[in-house]
Amino acid sequence: MKVVFADVERCVGCRHCEMACAVEHSSGKDLYSMLTDKPKSQPRIQVGLGIDLMTFPNKCQHCDPAPCENACPIDAIYHDSEFDSVQVEAEKCISCGMCAMVCPNDAIAFRQLEEDGNDIAYKCDHCLERLQEAKKPACVEACRTDALIYAEANELSNQRQTKLFRNITSQIRGGGNHKEIPKNIKSFKKLQEKIAQIGPLPSSKKREDSKA
Amino acid sequence: MSTEIDKKVDERTIDEDEKQTMKRTLDENIETAWDRLEAQQPQCGFGQLGICCNSCKMGPCQVDPFEEGPQRGVCGADANLIVARNLLNDMAAGSASHSDHGREVLETFYETANGESQGYELLDTEKLKNVAQDIGIEVEGRSNLEIAKEMGEQFLAEYGMVKGKLDFTDRAPEKTREIWNQAGIMPRGIDREVVEAMHRVHMGVGADYTNMLLHGLRTSLADGWGGSMMATELSDILFGTPKVTQSTVNLGTLKEEMVNIVLHGHNPVLSDVVVKAANDQELVDQAKAAGAEGINLVGLCCTGNELLMRKGIPMAGNMLNQELALATGAVDAMIIDYQCIFPSLPQVAKCFHSKVISTSEKSKVPGAVHKEFHPENAYDTAIEIVELAIDTYKERNPQKVEIPCEPMEMVAGFSVEAIKEELGGSFKPLIDAITSGKIKGIVGSVGCSNPKIQHDYGHVNLAKELMKKDILMVETGCAAVASGKAGLLVPEAAKMAGDGLREVCESLNIPPILHMGSCVDCSRILALAGELANALDVGIDQLPAAGAAPEWYAQKALTIASYFVASGFYTVVGLPPNTNGSQKVTDLLTDELEDVVNAKFAVEPDPKIAARMIERHILSQREELGI
Repeated sequence: MKVVFADVERCVGCRHCEMACAVEHSSGKDLYSMLTDKPKSQPRIQVGLGIDLMTFPNKCQHCDPAPCENACPIDAIYHDSEFDSVQVEAEKCISCGMCAMVCPNDAIAFRQLEEDGNDIAYKCDHCLERLQEAKKPACVEACRTDALIYAEANELSNQRQTKLFRNITSQIRGGGNHKEIPKNIKSFKKLQEKIAQIGPLPSSKKREDSKA
Repeated sequence: MSTEIDKKVDERTIDEDEKQTMKRTLDENIETAWDRLEAQQPQCGFGQLGICCNSCKMGPCQVDPFEEGPQRGVCGADANLIVARNLLNDMAAGSASHSDHGREVLETFYETANGESQGYELLDTEKLKNVAQDIGIEVEGRSNLEIAKEMGEQFLAEYGMVKGKLDFTDRAPEKTREIWNQAGIMPRGIDREVVEAMHRVHMGVGADYTNMLLHGLRTSLADGWGGSMMATELSDILFGTPKVTQSTVNLGTLKEEMVNIVLHGHNPVLSDVVVKAANDQELVDQAKAAGAEGINLVGLCCTGNELLMRKGIPMAGNMLNQELALATGAVDAMIIDYQCIFPSLPQVAKCFHSKVISTSEKSKVPGAVHKEFHPENAYDTAIEIVELAIDTYKERNPQKVEIPCEPMEMVAGFSVEAIKEELGGSFKPLIDAITSGKIKGIVGSVGCSNPKIQHDYGHVNLAKELMKKDILMVETGCAAVASGKAGLLVPEAAKMAGDGLREVCESLNIPPILHMGSCVDCSRILALAGELANALDVGIDQLPAAGAAPEWYAQKALTIASYFVASGFYTVVGLPPNTNGSQKVTDLLTDELEDVVNAKFAVEPDPKIAARMIERHILSQREELGI
């Protein structure tokens, strides 16, 4: 099972993934020609702001069994067996919204695909065309920080466990040589946390005194 | 729904007086900077870390901050260089802004000296002579116009590189100048340093981040001891050196029964003439004929500070108050010159009858009425503008006017000269208070408003904390206005200060925070520090002093912080500059610079912690001085 993993520690909120997704799903698959597409090409991945100015890229995770697939009353959503992905048959969609209601990731929006057309279920299609050409999904390719990784779930989980093992043991050793998040990035994140605390954006800590 | 809006308002500002208007913007969907900040989330981490280079067409390039992906841009620049390029670019933009403002004052000054301007005179001829003597111009037996003409020519030559030296740097203590010479950062010309900075950021020029950023300090010094100082000094000669003055501040300075004209921006060259025009009896009569009781002028941002300092004109608020002022529905004309003016102002004005009037060829805004201003016909233009304001008043819908509060009292006008006068004609009492420890030190707190921080939270809390620690604050720009709105710029506020500072303030009947003017007037803070350092026979870097910019947003503020540090002030900024993408640049700014200029930057968003850091620095400086 190959999936796109999102690593919240590494997401810097640059939205390269959103842009690459919109370009990939535009008529000419080109940044400049995309600007004249009607209706406008829209990303199927959303980078959002969480607490402490942390960000997260959210998209359809292609569940199996997929609640949206089960909920769709007219079978417009189906499972593609080649790449284990969940696909929407645009022509069948009746814009009832059932899929979005049951989606555990809130990753289904409704958008026009054609001018004067209905808003229909709109979500990550796993970049099927790219996968068929043995390329990575566009969002993964665009990510500069490896916050998005396309990999076998087990393989990735093994890799992450290896890191975890090293982290835990090197902490016990009091340092060790395992490569951690760079110092400057750590201090930046601490500053972000403080700024969120004294500003209007969401913060994990309540201000003790919001009044001077 | 309304509780959600109330919660939002509470999160956005500590200024109780503006909350009603802010609530109105949310209720009536009047878009403000806070809404746009929300809509901009998330903001790009590469940009915030300074590791995105968008300077050339091989790029844009980004470096992976986690040190696994690409570590160099296409040209080969690493994170250190990309961060340094971006930072130098910002410092140059800040220096250019203040200095070009200075140039415009200088041009008006020179035209006035040549009898070519309209509505101006050399108001403070005593200062003219003092400045002339400072820069080696003969005053004996010469007319004021002759002196001014030579001074104008001498200063105009400092913008390029005809002289290769800035006269005002001679005002810095000798020990400070030695540091600059040793580090190779003595500024050689105002425009020259900015142009050279733009050269250095080009691909294939500067590649050594330290060398790039030392030039950044030189470019900043050219602003502080050059362009900004000229803006201050020549404005004083043209419009009068500020004296201590009583005035009022906040949105309550707008008046329901008057024609309200808001003067917003930075340059006093136009606004000063508008003040004259608004006092013209014929125009006052016109306003009355239109049904108003008269013409009410209020300031915003640093144009406001310039008018407040010299003429006691009330202030409607600081940078983040610009949209709120319009949202009262009471503004008939908002006259803008340049800098810190939201391009979206006409959008807010459109919700009401208000007109935004642009006046500078450099700063045209779609949706604004453009009345271009030139010194040669300044007074005629000012009259035209005031007439337009009166006409606009006739369209005002009184039902849409909501002025949220009563104005707050404040005292301003603390030029270096005025401080000296308050002290009885000499700085000695202040120096005595510092050496005796009644006043532990002096902090120049400056800079902007930034919607990322609860409005005024940083300024007001830093001021209150430092005051308790017997540290005297000298403030400019939006910092000073924040203190004013919070009621800290009155002598009675000394009650909140520590015993020593309180005693000094009460004996002189001055506030515990001195409003020194606009953001170019940070040069007054340099001049004051120069005076104190000379009196103690030390460099500025040895003074028990520091700088702060708790809510900064602008490139100009970055340049001010940089010339503060380069001049010897330990400077704490409330938001990190876009430098965290490089540990080396961060180390240089927050540590290694100490070996170069004996001062450094620090970053601390929490104003209470920042106050402790500043106190620690001041106490250790005192110890080293043996006081």
